[in-house]
Amino acid sequence: MVIENRWPVMAGARFLPVGRLDDLIGALHADGRRVVGPVVEDGGIKMAEIERAAELPFGWTASAAPGLVRLSRRPANDRAAGRAFDNGPAWSGIKPWTFPSRVDALTVETREDGSLGVRVEAPANQPTAVIGARACDLAALAVHDRVLAGGPAIDPDYAARRADLLVVAVECALATSTCFCTSMGTGPEVTTGADVVLAEVDGGFVARSDSPAGERLLAGLDLAEAGPLRVGAAIEQVTKVRDAMGHAVEAEGLHDRLLANLDSPRWEAIAERCLACANCTLVCPTCFCTGTVIESDLDGRESSATRQWDSCFTAGFAQVAGGGSFRPHHADRYRQWLTHKFATWWDQFGSSGCVGCGRCIAWCPVGIDVREELAAIAGPAITDLPAAAPATTPAAAPIAVKGTRILAMAPTALQPGSIRTDYVTATVTEVRPETADTATLRLVTGDAALLAARPGQFVMVAVPAFAIPPISISRINPDGLELTIRAAGPATSFMTRLRPGAELALRGPLGRPWPIEDAYGRDVAIVAGGIGLAPLRGLLDQVLAERDRFSSIRVYLGARTPRDRLFVAEMDALAAGGLDIRATVDRAGPEWLGRVGIITDIFRNAKATGQNVTAFVCGPERMMTAVVDVLGDLDVPREHTWLTLERRMECGVGLCGHCQLGSRFVCRDGPVFSVAELGDDLRREGL
Amino acid sequence: MQLPPVPTAQVSKRATTLNRPRVGVVKFASCDGCQLTILDLEDELLALTERFEFVEFAEATSRRSSGPFDVLFVEGSISSPEQAVEIARLRAATKTLVTIGACATAGGIQALRTASEHEAFRAAVYPAPAFVESLAVASPISSYVTVDAELRGCPIDAHQLVELLTAVTTGRRPQLPDQAVCLECKRRGLECVVVTRGEPCLGPVTQTGCGAICPGIGRGCYGCFGPREGANVDGLASWFVDGPALGGLKREDVGRLFAGFTGAAQPFRAVTDRLGGRPQIPLRPATAHGPEHSEHTPPVWGTRPEDPDARR
Repeated sequence: MVIENRWPVMAGARFLPVGRLDDLIGALHADGRRVVGPVVEDGGIKMAEIERAAELPFGWTASAAPGLVRLSRRPANDRAAGRAFDNGPAWSGIKPWTFPSRVDALTVETREDGSLGVRVEAPANQPTAVIGARACDLAALAVHDRVLAGGPAIDPDYAARRADLLVVAVECALATSTCFCTSMGTGPEVTTGADVVLAEVDGGFVARSDSPAGERLLAGLDLAEAGPLRVGAAIEQVTKVRDAMGHAVEAEGLHDRLLANLDSPRWEAIAERCLACANCTLVCPTCFCTGTVIESDLDGRESSATRQWDSCFTAGFAQVAGGGSFRPHHADRYRQWLTHKFATWWDQFGSSGCVGCGRCIAWCPVGIDVREELAAIAGPAITDLPAAAPATTPAAAPIAVKGTRILAMAPTALQPGSIRTDYVTATVTEVRPETADTATLRLVTGDAALLAARPGQFVMVAVPAFAIPPISISRINPDGLELTIRAAGPATSFMTRLRPGAELALRGPLGRPWPIEDAYGRDVAIVAGGIGLAPLRGLLDQVLAERDRFSSIRVYLGARTPRDRLFVAEMDALAAGGLDIRATVDRAGPEWLGRVGIITDIFRNAKATGQNVTAFVCGPERMMTAVVDVLGDLDVPREHTWLTLERRMECGVGLCGHCQLGSRFVCRDGPVFSVAELGDDLRREGL
Repeated sequence: MQLPPVPTAQVSKRATTLNRPRVGVVKFASCDGCQLTILDLEDELLALTERFEFVEFAEATSRRSSGPFDVLFVEGSISSPEQAVEIARLRAATKTLVTIGACATAGGIQALRTASEHEAFRAAVYPAPAFVESLAVASPISSYVTVDAELRGCPIDAHQLVELLTAVTTGRRPQLPDQAVCLECKRRGLECVVVTRGEPCLGPVTQTGCGAICPGIGRGCYGCFGPREGANVDGLASWFVDGPALGGLKREDVGRLFAGFTGAAQPFRAVTDRLGGRPQIPLRPATAHGPEHSEHTPPVWGTRPEDPDARR
């Protein structure tokens, strides 16, 4: 699809003399909006709140190269000396206004009566108008619309800001050497997403409206028609920008070419230059990953969770309780960023994550050029294509056009807005110690959604002062849930020490449950290692409740020592009742009369073929991969072998980005996956 | 980093003067700036003293204590033989030992002598160095005893100190991010001084926590919070030397950038070793009493036998 220049089709383009820009700003102010536009600040052009047109960067021009940005004044005799926007996109983009770097998210407090108060912070936003957004900014906004407001969980803060946003876009008149929007099919012509579009020409702006709000704005200014000469100049100007940019990145097939090169030696090579400083991700107008900061008073009675920009380039980003990071090396982090931006974004959101603005190139403090890296890793870009080469717009392109391989995801209820993001309270009625460091909390709640939870799902659990961990549901009762919690960190330690009567705040139920129907008519194998029995216990409840639907049921339990076993009395009772439960421990004392050895040893002597088996496996990741190997040897089909994965989850609803594994959000698309769905990603280091 | 909660975390709801954790603030070779930063917490000081009993804090009170301490904040580096003995005693009297500031966590500015001729330094600084007993190296506390938590910076960030104390009272892990300064810089909406001005900045390799103070006033970070997790110092140094943005800095000038308040910490120290820029003697015209003796070939950092880091 060729990006069309929309000026010729816009009848009645108007002319806004430069001297009347203040009237435009005044009209926006009169509409109750704060007005944001580009200003020169500390050697760069950023978007900031403005009061008057004079604050715009009149007479400034910019040059950008990898790691190098310079502003300069145009000489007075330069034809563009009186222009405000002839200087490339503002480095900050408009992201700080639609998706600020810090947002209050949640307040949790212990009230005087001991009950828990939970407040999801309401978006505090002032209606905003942005002047000077470029085609790349609008493309990025469209991407964010999909990511933050078009998915199963909607970010309420973004949605509120977005609903109140009015955009006056400006056609680019200058392409810096880092711009490559033509390659990504997003510009330089402004096509969609703006309310008003301006093109700066001699003496003022050719203006068109692109929405009812924009039309009202322009109509209120009572402008004359621009006339064909000015419209012609506007078209010629942006066409020159397009020609200047060339075709630096071959976007066609990039998804597959990148993912075919996950083991490229170039990842290690770039890691020697890459500082993992996160600048590229923070200036990227589409990067959306956030982390949570908890602040509390000294007593820990009240705490607030703030959501702030985070980056996949930090070690903490992929860290889980216990301290290990899934992406310890810079090469892992660079690979995550690049493959997400240009490849797996397609799988997740049906568009590229890159809009070709080049900010990651210009603002990399060591000048790494993503275009070079893409060419080196995914294959060379075709540089001699004509300027009007076919390009696809992310917003419009059907995924099939990209030849994209979509991973076989089982359809879950992922309609926009279908995942709740609020918190409700539940009361602890019983705390049952399971092992030295693990306890089961029995919770009572009247919340219908929580009571409709299914085995394998989890909840985010908030208490004042602590981080908010994901906890799997270990049983679903008629009046509430049970959570079995191991004291892996301070928050979980605190939770295992709670007393009956305490309240917790829960977000959930979240994630994809165990697909129990996959085992109907088949032999069920439930394989648990240590704490991994917790999410499987609810499944076992349900399997036993529907006993007649299954051919056979076997339970395999592994633990480090006899004292690390969970639900011992319950499992003994089930075994006494005739359920086939086989337990093993890695190490045993004299009191243990059962089997000793790692869990995979239990299967070693199995004679039956596994073709009719559906296996549900949960435990430490290394245990699970070992079990998967043995199950594979026994012919248990990969599509009938189900695992639940642990990754860092901060939001639980697919918005914060931390738990990504390739194209998946483990929290939203999992945590339960089949081995067939995971493919090579199950064992790939650093993903 | 693990910070074990003090026992009072369990009864934190209603603290009384009886069960307040005993807190000490002590110093070794340092300027007292970090202690003053604690005193600058004017809005929080009253609440802090209600929750903690400050039994030793030389900048704040004449009351003295030799322990025991639930929490001990240690400022300064170990720079003399008697300090080396004293820190071992304090460690034995302390449950949670927290080092505060660049001196205690990385050796501080005085650790620059580690790179040079100790005697020459002494002679340059003191009129009669014979009266001064000092070690040839100034070392971080962690070179001598186990440290439970570190607050970085020259001086420390007061909010990080409150966060640490809050973590102690609530029993949670303090949120002391190990990311680059750049993250905070960009969250603040600051432009990169390397990119727009060719200003050398150690932000990409330095641990955040300061709030990006220096880039906020248009100058480069000089690394006072010390190396961050996974600091790619070679990547940054090569760009400063060879990249176009800074117009080609001299190698030793780049080495000198890393030889600041935390210059004795690895991997900063390795950059100065490789590129040059170690501090030179004389720092100023020699005093009446010249060097008692001088070594003509000052050792490379980390090779002195007295240097605890070299023994690791």
